[in-house]
Amino acid sequence: MANIDAKEYSPESSSMKSRLSWLWSEYSVIIAFVIIYIAASAMNPRFLDLNNQLNILMQVSIIGIIALGMTVVMLSGGIDLSVGSVLALAGVVSVLALNASGSILIGVFTALLVGAFAGFLNGLMVAKGRIASFIATLGMMAGARSIALYIAEGGSVSGEVSGFTAIANSDFWIFDFPVIIFFAMAVLIYVLMHKTRFGRYVYALGSNEKAAMLSAIRVDRIKIGVYTLIGTLVGVAAVIETSRLNSISSSSSGAQYELDAIAAVIIGGTRMTGGRGKIIGTIFGILILGILNNMMNLMNVSPHLQGFVKGLIIIIAVVFQKRE
Amino acid sequence: MTSHPFVAMNNIGKSFNGVPVLKNVNLEVEKGEIHALLGENGAGKSTLMNILGGVHQPDSGQIFVKGEEVAMTSPHVSQAQGISFIHQELNMVGDLRVYENMFLGSEIRNRIGILNVEEMCRQTHKILAELGVTINPKEYVRNLATSYKQLIEISKALLHKSQLIIMDEPTTSLAEHEVSRLFELMRNLKKSGVSIIYISHKLKEIQEVCDRYTVLRDGQLVKTDVMQNENLEVITKLMVGKSISQERYVHEHSFGDLALEVEGLSSTGLFKGINFTVQKGQIVGFTGLAGDGRTELFESLFGYRKKYAGTVKVKGKVVKINHPRKALKAGLGYVPKDRKENAIIKDLSVIHNMSLSSMGNFERMGFIQDKKEQQKFNDYKKLLNIKVHNPRITIDKLSGGNQQKVIIAKWLEAETDILIFDNPTQGIDVGAKQEIYQQILALAKLGKAIIILSSEAPEVMRICHNIHVMYHGEITARFTGDEANEEEIMHYATGAKKEGEKIG
Repeated sequence: MANIDAKEYSPESSSMKSRLSWLWSEYSVIIAFVIIYIAASAMNPRFLDLNNQLNILMQVSIIGIIALGMTVVMLSGGIDLSVGSVLALAGVVSVLALNASGSILIGVFTALLVGAFAGFLNGLMVAKGRIASFIATLGMMAGARSIALYIAEGGSVSGEVSGFTAIANSDFWIFDFPVIIFFAMAVLIYVLMHKTRFGRYVYALGSNEKAAMLSAIRVDRIKIGVYTLIGTLVGVAAVIETSRLNSISSSSSGAQYELDAIAAVIIGGTRMTGGRGKIIGTIFGILILGILNNMMNLMNVSPHLQGFVKGLIIIIAVVFQKRE
Repeated sequence: MTSHPFVAMNNIGKSFNGVPVLKNVNLEVEKGEIHALLGENGAGKSTLMNILGGVHQPDSGQIFVKGEEVAMTSPHVSQAQGISFIHQELNMVGDLRVYENMFLGSEIRNRIGILNVEEMCRQTHKILAELGVTINPKEYVRNLATSYKQLIEISKALLHKSQLIIMDEPTTSLAEHEVSRLFELMRNLKKSGVSIIYISHKLKEIQEVCDRYTVLRDGQLVKTDVMQNENLEVITKLMVGKSISQERYVHEHSFGDLALEVEGLSSTGLFKGINFTVQKGQIVGFTGLAGDGRTELFESLFGYRKKYAGTVKVKGKVVKINHPRKALKAGLGYVPKDRKENAIIKDLSVIHNMSLSSMGNFERMGFIQDKKEQQKFNDYKKLLNIKVHNPRITIDKLSGGNQQKVIIAKWLEAETDILIFDNPTQGIDVGAKQEIYQQILALAKLGKAIIILSSEAPEVMRICHNIHVMYHGEITARFTGDEANEEEIMHYATGAKKEGEKIG
């Protein structure tokens, strides 16, 4: 019996090989990040320039905030394709509110509210309507963009309140505000996912929905919460996006943001079907994407080819994760 | 006999990750023989059969088919030698039709590659008729009951003219009359010279149908002998290495107040007119065959299914349960069957699985206190004898028995007074089964009201004070634990006998 016991009860002591594979599966994205970072510094000395580094952080902050929410959605076993469109809608509506009221606070709250409401609707469709998240949010993606276009008559809307641009264009010490907001959100979501029951329930639901429900978890409410959360984060991203240029385009703002966010989550090692993944992974995933973009710009790679490289990296990341 | 056995496996050895799973095991199967392969879970039966089926390669030893050595390098080689393996989990494609499943990978085509549907249907029909079942070959497999799927798997083996069929627990999902039909079929196969290796935990069945048996324990051959006249208790002893008592565990003792009263519970197509009560400290069993509606009944009672009518009273108060959360609030806990699908969250750690239903106990100002979780888990580890070195590993690394204990701990931590166990010993080996029974009895002694659902009549007879037998969604008979006998339970469970209500 002793042998059988050993096999069943202590897999962690079974061999060195499994330890290594554990290390790889837990930290592969960080290892990849370090390799890419070193490669980038070797290839172009300008990469290590402090301003360039801070620039990378600034560039990833908007997608980064969305990717945090996307991680939560994907951990729950869903996906949200509507983030880019909702960002445009939240931006357009918030600028109108800003101009009408003259209050920055009202503008910001409007963006958060519109984002949260769109997310809430997504959550309702997924949880109560039992519509696959891919389809529900695909519908929202088309719908939100259309309403944004309608409200802005297909063009851009600009802020008319002075001081609004300060949100995205100020800095504290050496960091730009958007970067600080991104880090603050990352800490918040990390704590939410690992230190509260909401996070625990999201993991449980993504891993085994039926078992989660039979464990007396209100699965529907958690799902609605998850989509409302990403909607709110999209609202935050919309404020930064709008404030940066003091205007938002109903047609092009946020376009393809969902793909970049999903790419960051996948590179970060979160499982497509949910239940497994980490916020830290997504942060490194978004940094990898940022460094690649930056490198390609520094090396004058044609912008038309940058998508190809990005696609390649996503596929390589997934191939390596399959090895586990 | 000078002729060779159909299959001979000599001195087979196999290790996984340095842990020996098989040690010098020999197995011989004669032509036209039904050979029982016995042993507890983890004894090495599946590994041995996977080696014969070409799934795993042995570290040492040889395999002979009709006296010639064969290297079973892949499942294809094994199939080419006339060996079919019917796995416990059925390999059926639900969205294909019956005949398409039967001929999957070996479709009959004409010269230009067009499928000959009529011929495939004709052959399917013929083989199924031999088994005594009439299924439309063009029916979609997803519409069939599990037992029929099982029969189609067997038909598939026959279709491929297999000379040796390995059956891994084929009767778990079959009703009694289907089991007897399967045995009839096995005897016919035997007459026509087909050999069968039969893996099962149900010793009675084995005695009924098998010619010889081989017992494995801890990866070693314990005994091979002729089945006839062998005492079942002796075989059980060989399997577990010690004698397991078949006596009833429960003895009458006084019960507490009424914990649960159910009146006129009905759900269209699933169950109707269900009445029963459970007192504190009482263990009530529900048994019946597959499709009797007992799982659906308790899934409804637990709020997982919402469409049902009737009254449920917990401790005298009427409760409306339409979500498991409400059930938990009313004091109900549910340990579901099919642990992997319904109970464990395989990506969460052992500790997190334990705390999942009672997160409030571990929070301070909304934040989870890891230390508190760990301490609580250590208490349950001692109380329920959970064997795990590091409770931070994911729960799927634990053995079935230990997983089940963690699920029990989950409901204890949620402070539920009424515990429903559906198939509590499913996929748990004999030794661990005893332990689960002891734990359930201990819980009853603590004053918990316990409900046990099981398809195995002997199980409920051993641990329940009262037994309800279900058939087609109705309770057809009620027994007290000491007056029940297996035969009579079977009569009511199969619908052979039905008295309105043997009210007691």
